[in-house]
Amino acid sequence: MRDRLAGTPLDLALSLAVAALALGIAALFIGASGVSPVEAGDAFVQGVFGGRFQIGSTLAAMIPLVLVALAWIVTFSADRLHVGFPGQIVIGGLCSTVIALEVAPGLPGIVALPLAVLAGAAGGGLYAGIVAWLWAKRGANEILTSLLLNLIAVQVIAWMVRGPLQESAGSLPQTDPLTESAVWPTLLSNTPLAWDLVTVPIAIVLVAWVMSRTTLGFRLRLVGANQDLARQAGVSPVRVGVWAIVVSGALAGLAGASLVLAGNAAATTDSFEAGYGFTGIAVALLARNSPWGVVPAAFLFAALDTGGGVMEASVGVSNALSEITQGLVVTMVLISASLLYLRSRGRVNRIGRSSTAMEGT
Amino acid sequence: MGPFDAALLGATLILATPILLAALGELISERAGVVNVGVEGMMLVGAFFSFLVAWKSGSLVLGVAGGIAAGIGLAAVMGVLAITAKADQIVAGIGLLLLAAGLTSFLFEELTAGRGQVQLDRIGPLEIPLLSDIPDVGPALFARDPIVYAAFLSVPAVWFLLYRTRWGLAIRSAGEAPAALDTAGVSVVAVRWAGVLTAGAFAGLGGAFLSIAQLGLFQQEMTAGRGFLALAAVFFGRWHPLGVLGACLLFGAADALQLRLQGAGSVPASVWVLVALVAAAYLVRLARERQRRAVSPIALVVVGVVAAAAVALSISPPDGRLPSQLWLALPFILALLVLAGAVGRARVPAALMRPYTRDER
Repeated sequence: MRDRLAGTPLDLALSLAVAALALGIAALFIGASGVSPVEAGDAFVQGVFGGRFQIGSTLAAMIPLVLVALAWIVTFSADRLHVGFPGQIVIGGLCSTVIALEVAPGLPGIVALPLAVLAGAAGGGLYAGIVAWLWAKRGANEILTSLLLNLIAVQVIAWMVRGPLQESAGSLPQTDPLTESAVWPTLLSNTPLAWDLVTVPIAIVLVAWVMSRTTLGFRLRLVGANQDLARQAGVSPVRVGVWAIVVSGALAGLAGASLVLAGNAAATTDSFEAGYGFTGIAVALLARNSPWGVVPAAFLFAALDTGGGVMEASVGVSNALSEITQGLVVTMVLISASLLYLRSRGRVNRIGRSSTAMEGT
Repeated sequence: MGPFDAALLGATLILATPILLAALGELISERAGVVNVGVEGMMLVGAFFSFLVAWKSGSLVLGVAGGIAAGIGLAAVMGVLAITAKADQIVAGIGLLLLAAGLTSFLFEELTAGRGQVQLDRIGPLEIPLLSDIPDVGPALFARDPIVYAAFLSVPAVWFLLYRTRWGLAIRSAGEAPAALDTAGVSVVAVRWAGVLTAGAFAGLGGAFLSIAQLGLFQQEMTAGRGFLALAAVFFGRWHPLGVLGACLLFGAADALQLRLQGAGSVPASVWVLVALVAAAYLVRLARERQRRAVSPIALVVVGVVAAAAVALSISPPDGRLPSQLWLALPFILALLVLAGAVGRARVPAALMRPYTRDER
């Protein structure tokens, strides 16, 4: 029911207002730190649109954000709010790295890349499978277990790039450069933008189509809207919930695959996740959980990232500002959605979930 | 006894303190019906602002007050979102996490730009006369920071509040049967606000302990998952102060042990004996439970194998250093295991995560 409002003009206006307000508050922060907001804004725009490289960087940063936002939409529709995306990105990227380093050298290029990408999705899906299994079989709350698994994944990747997968030179905590044949070819030369951009429209169309046009999507939404009704209709909320968690993990794993198999770094380090896992949630919220809305929302956050980086380098404003803006966007989206809810009780547009939230199994 | 000595006991108390403080606050909040996954964020602002106030004012007492105030301030954002605007509590908590991480990083970078790490005097130990003179355990238990005593004395205080006072009854009713509380003429909204703000105060104090009592400095993201452990402790402690205390001591002990063992060349036999004992106890419990409910034979076999392996390892402990990342992940792995093993049977407060609206009565 909660997707009824997504995509209406009012919805769009609200999201735009929230984005504008968040940027306005960010400008206040800049002003408070003693830098002219005009100068900072100029540096920001230069950082986003200033040239080929900047445009390429912004588009490249959109890719993982879109994939994670879709992952959130899938699991949110089924009312399973796991937040394990950072961990699933890390484990997915790690699996892609292993394939690209150990298996790809003996394979033709046409097999190596798809295999590495699929390994990422499988890794993310399996890691999310732990959350799903603990929830379905042990009744352990999926939010808590996924948060803990994020923290564990951080240590796993830290160990891998210092232990089994460390570069042969053995000095830096990173892997050897990944095999050329398993890496996405560059789309825009001399920029981080690679051909993994094609996964974005494919994933969006697939998720939008499955959610709105297939039985599977209907079951997902049915469980998300009303678990009792779903049970009476013969749909198992547990089975649907498990699938939703695993599929969303696979999407996050795909984001991890993109992060290691494309971009400007040839080797995998332990910091490639770079906060995309939580930012992707903010993207989905700003998009009001609409698969199509994630594109402009992801663009905004990608711009904050790249533009923020340039702003830090040229006028000395801390890049943590983009993180604040993300937090502001999340809180303001929640407030605006709730205000809308209070304004018109009849229309169910609560951004929250149904009241059966904590009843595990 | 290898690493199991009085120093480990002392380290356990210190490491359990911030988790315990945050968990007791979260316990009150959850008992009132509001779950806040942003505990980590409230701890982080507590750590930062207590450091900032103590640094600028030169007073540690003012610093502690500043940390508590900051925790309450962020909790107020949670209150607006979750209680007043009736937004989804999980999503609101994620917003809090992002806000806190961004805000503290931004301000810290702005304040300390071009300056080295600021090291403050720490709060000194408060030796309790007579008790601290007991050999071995005396100094470990009774020559600690005042905040450590405050944390452990809060356990009976919170118990008394929840189970022996009218306020406690109101808090528990707000989480179990808000409609009944409303009928009795008590404002559910006010009680929940009180719960959420109390949680902020506790988490802020926990954060203050980390920065100005334990280390005397602030680092970005210095809470390092302790807020998530606090959430797990509330679940594992089954929403009871004593259970929460037990869970926090367990996590503190795991953290103390991993710190000790990180530096050791190999894992001493006594640690393996402990693992064997725990596994054996769990095996006995599973075997007993078999008479009452179906227990998967796979579970029995897995626990049995773990117990046998631990016995073998305690007879001849292998040499060689384990990766430090494994040790760092240990408290989180332990939290995951206890959640998987125990939560299935826990009683969640009935109205947890459900916004209260009068017409639902």
